[in-house]
Amino acid sequence: MIKTKYWISLFLLLLALSALAATLLLRDGHGNGTAAVLSEGEEVCTVDLSRDQTFTVKASGGVNIIVVEDGAIRVESATCPDQICVQRGACSEGAPIVCLPNRLVIQFPENAGIDASTG
Amino acid sequence: MDTVMEVTVYGSGASDAAEEAERAIRRLEELWSVTREDSEISRLNRGETVELSEETANLLQKGLRLSEETGGALNLALYPLTRLWGFTTEEYRVPSREEIDALLDRLRSGSLSLEDNRASLSSWELDFGAVAKGYAAQLSADMLKERGVTSALLTLGGNVQTVGNKEDGSLWRIGVRDPWGEEGDYLGVLLVGEAAVVTSGAYQRYFEEDGVRYGHILDPETGRPVESGLASVTIVAEDGFLADGLSTALYVMGLEEATEFFRGRDDFEAVLVDDAGTIYVTEGLRDSFECSQFQVIER
Repeated sequence: MIKTKYWISLFLLLLALSALAATLLLRDGHGNGTAAVLSEGEEVCTVDLSRDQTFTVKASGGVNIIVVEDGAIRVESATCPDQICVQRGACSEGAPIVCLPNRLVIQFPENAGIDASTG
Repeated sequence: MDTVMEVTVYGSGASDAAEEAERAIRRLEELWSVTREDSEISRLNRGETVELSEETANLLQKGLRLSEETGGALNLALYPLTRLWGFTTEEYRVPSREEIDALLDRLRSGSLSLEDNRASLSSWELDFGAVAKGYAAQLSADMLKERGVTSALLTLGGNVQTVGNKEDGSLWRIGVRDPWGEEGDYLGVLLVGEAAVVTSGAYQRYFEEDGVRYGHILDPETGRPVESGLASVTIVAEDGFLADGLSTALYVMGLEEATEFFRGRDDFEAVLVDDAGTIYVTEGLRDSFECSQFQVIER
C-alpha cells in the first residue's frame, strides 16, 4: 500500500510540475504584454515586453534598433529617412509601430483579431 | 506603386507560390510604373507607339470601359494634373485656375488609339494608379488559384485580395481603416470569403496649404482634389480591378451619385464614410460588417 501511495504522490507531483511549465510556456508570447516584430512581411520574433532588451532588425531596406524597457517597446534608431517609427516613441498596445521604408512592423496582440486591413 | 506588399499562402507548396506571386506583382509594377522611364506606360506617355504586353492592353481596355461605366468618375488620363499638383514628386503646390484649365482642355481633346495591342496617345498621359494595384493583385490571385492554392491573403498597399476562405474554413476579417485615425485604427471589420477589398480616401495622401487640405484623388471635372463630402470609400467585389477602380470612382461621385450607381449594379458592395463620420453600408454587407453603428443603403 505504501508503494501505491508513493506512486500516486509522484504522479501528482509530475502533473503539478507540467501544469506549471505549460502555464509559463504558454504565457510567453501569447498573453498580454507582448509584441510581434515583423520584417518585410515575415514575423521575426514575439517579444515579452516585461523583459528589458535591445536588438537589431536588419532588412534590405535598412536597419532598426529596437528597445524594450519598462513594459513598452520603441524604435531607438533607424536608417530610414522619415524617422516616423522613432518619433512614435514607446508603445505597449494599440496601433502598430510601422517603419514603411525599412518594412518593419511592430504589432500588439489587440490587432490579432484582424487578418489584414485596407489602406 | 511603391507600396508594401505581403503575400501569405496557406497549405503545401505555400512559400514557392507566395514567392512566385510576389515576383508576378513586381513584374506588373514595372510595366505600369509612371516613374520608371522604360515602362510601357512611360513610353506611351512620351508619345511613342508601343506594342503593349497582354496585361497592359487588358488593363487599358478594362480601364476605359470602367471609366465609361462610371460616367468619367474614373479617369486614367489625369497624370498631367497629378503632376501639376505635385503629387508625383511630393513637391506640392496649388496651381492657378489657368494652369488647371489648360490641362483640362488637353484632357478633353486627348485620345488613345488601341488596335490589337499597338497603342499610342494623343495629348493624353496615362496613370494607372487608380487600378494597377487592384489588377496586379487580381492577376496574382488568379495565378495562385491556377496552382491549386485554396487559401491565400494578398495585401498590396491598402488593397486586400483573398483566395478562398481562411485555412480553417472561416471568413477573413478585414479591418476598414478609420480615415481620421492612425494606421491600425479601424472603423469596423468586414467578414469576407474570396474577395477583393479596397479603400480610397484623401487621408491616404494629401498636403496642406493655408489651412486647406488637398487630397491626392483628383476630380476629372474640376481638375482639383475631390470635394465630394466623403472621407473614404471601401469596395468589396469579386474582382480586384473592379474594387480598386470603383473605390476611386465612388469617392469622386459622392454619396448620392454613388448610391444611385450602386443600385444600377450587382457586382460590388461598399462602405462609405462621409466627412461627418457617418458610415453607410450597402445592403449586402449588412450582416458582414462588424461596427458599432451604420446606416444601410438599400438596393
